[in-house]
Amino acid sequence: MRSKAGVALLAGSLLGGLLQAGVLPKIDFPKDSPVSFIGADYGESNESARGGAMLLDLHAALSLRNSSQRRIRGITLIVTAQDVTPGGKGSVTVTSLDVGPAESFPVRIDLRLLRPVQGGGNAPLLVGLDGVLFDDLGFYGPDKLNSKRALTLCEFEARRDRRYFKQLLAEGGPEKLQREVLDSIARERDRPNVDVQMVRSGRATNFEPEKQVQFAFLNLPDAPIEPLDGMAKIAGNEARAPRLDVKNRSDRAVRYLEIGWILRDGQGREFLAGAVPAQLNLAPGQKSPILNDTALRFPPRDGQPLAIEGMTGFVSNVEFADGSVWIPNRADLAIPRLQKIVGPSAEEQRLLQIYRKRGLTALIGELQNRDR
Amino acid sequence: MRANHPPETELALYSGNDLSAWRSWGIRRHLAACSECRNEVKAHRDGLAAIHDAAVSETPGHGNWQRLSLEMTGNIRVGLAAGECIAGFEKTIRPMKPRLLWHAALVFAAVSLVSIAALSINLSKDERNGLFANLGKIRWERMFRPLRPPSFAQDAVVLEAGPAEIEVKSNGRALSLTHPHSDGGTVSVNMQDSAGVRYVDADSGQVTTNRVYYAQ
Repeated sequence: MRSKAGVALLAGSLLGGLLQAGVLPKIDFPKDSPVSFIGADYGESNESARGGAMLLDLHAALSLRNSSQRRIRGITLIVTAQDVTPGGKGSVTVTSLDVGPAESFPVRIDLRLLRPVQGGGNAPLLVGLDGVLFDDLGFYGPDKLNSKRALTLCEFEARRDRRYFKQLLAEGGPEKLQREVLDSIARERDRPNVDVQMVRSGRATNFEPEKQVQFAFLNLPDAPIEPLDGMAKIAGNEARAPRLDVKNRSDRAVRYLEIGWILRDGQGREFLAGAVPAQLNLAPGQKSPILNDTALRFPPRDGQPLAIEGMTGFVSNVEFADGSVWIPNRADLAIPRLQKIVGPSAEEQRLLQIYRKRGLTALIGELQNRDR
Repeated sequence: MRANHPPETELALYSGNDLSAWRSWGIRRHLAACSECRNEVKAHRDGLAAIHDAAVSETPGHGNWQRLSLEMTGNIRVGLAAGECIAGFEKTIRPMKPRLLWHAALVFAAVSLVSIAALSINLSKDERNGLFANLGKIRWERMFRPLRPPSFAQDAVVLEAGPAEIEVKSNGRALSLTHPHSDGGTVSVNMQDSAGVRYVDADSGQVTTNRVYYAQ
């Protein structure tokens, strides 16, 4: 590992000759960070003029080390380019990690920055730490991007899916596990994946007649939140301003929830448009509206303009006031409509990749050794 | 009026070469067969020649009548052109109102109907059904409406997410996160603040999620 870091450092220093030093990102972690920066390999990064703008094409492989005494499960880095996107920012999150104390691990950042040559300023590109999640669900970091919640949800999903695959292995042996893995790969291949544009406040287009469309809901029996009613405005390939009414049917207060938003086009094809989140304080039995003024626009699919005809919502996750979370169980996700549309968790994606690259034996080994 | 003969006015204009080419051709055909009208034209031309000679003899220095005529014509044209130029300053420039060319639209519609009728008579039942199915897909409600580019406002901050990359852009500036070392990603949108894509890195096998955010 140490030699690898040395190579990364050498490559990073060599690249200083190809890219101006001011263009390279400034890596800035807190002094008491449980993760330390070892070095970076900037590979084939370059900067070039494109018309009246400069285009930075950055390919960075950061080498980080776990300098804490706990195992790391996930990390979120925050990327800021203040003069390119005033206030806007990006993040790179790696989940399903299992990094022990003093072990190093890579994080890859591939980004492009386009900024005007004149008047563009030259504020540096900053890479900072937003959060680290440990195996005991402890968290470190400024959490400006709500990384704690996102990483915790991922860890819960990872535990659920590892448990599920281990259960399959225990019940039906390698054959049953393999069957499920192959089914999951087939579903992943067939799952619709769409491009989307998103903007706050207002419509993207104004020549399509707009109509109010009512939400239908998929009922997940053990969800702590019950969606009661909902509407959104639809105009052609654009959906905006969803409004939902929900009720807390659990015995604990809820502080955050997300409703998955499924759209159906004119040909009856369904796809997951996004999640409508709400930060609230919902006591047991209490009802609350959820409002959002964002507009989503979908480009043509298979060369045909996408005309949205219907919508369905389902509760995709809930965070209680005590910090614990609820996610759908595997039985919920096995509902055919959801199975067809909702993608696998990050952990399931990782396990499928192990099967694809290294085979069934490696997958079984991973399942048996991970939660030792 | 003389029956079967051209009017005298036309013969007079023909004599001075002031008749349109089409009418001149008609008169010439008639003159070839009509001595009476030929004499009439000759009389007109003799009269014109006499007037021309008299004008030349009375002009000081026996001026060139032809040249004078050309100069006058030229002056008239210059005057008309100058008037055109000035007219632009005198008039208030008003925006042109969009005009629906209804007559053109009607002609187009009529031609389309006739074409469809002719096609449908000559088409088989399956082909006819296909034609009508395609006609049914035309979005009639959008006809005669002005088209505007379906894009967000220039100054709006727009998040774009696709399986290949995600981007936050505004005013010609953009920050994109890509994942060239994977076979594709899964797009996710959080309507509160961000859009993202999750992928498995082909080299490391790590699951990575890239996201772009609005300003907070």
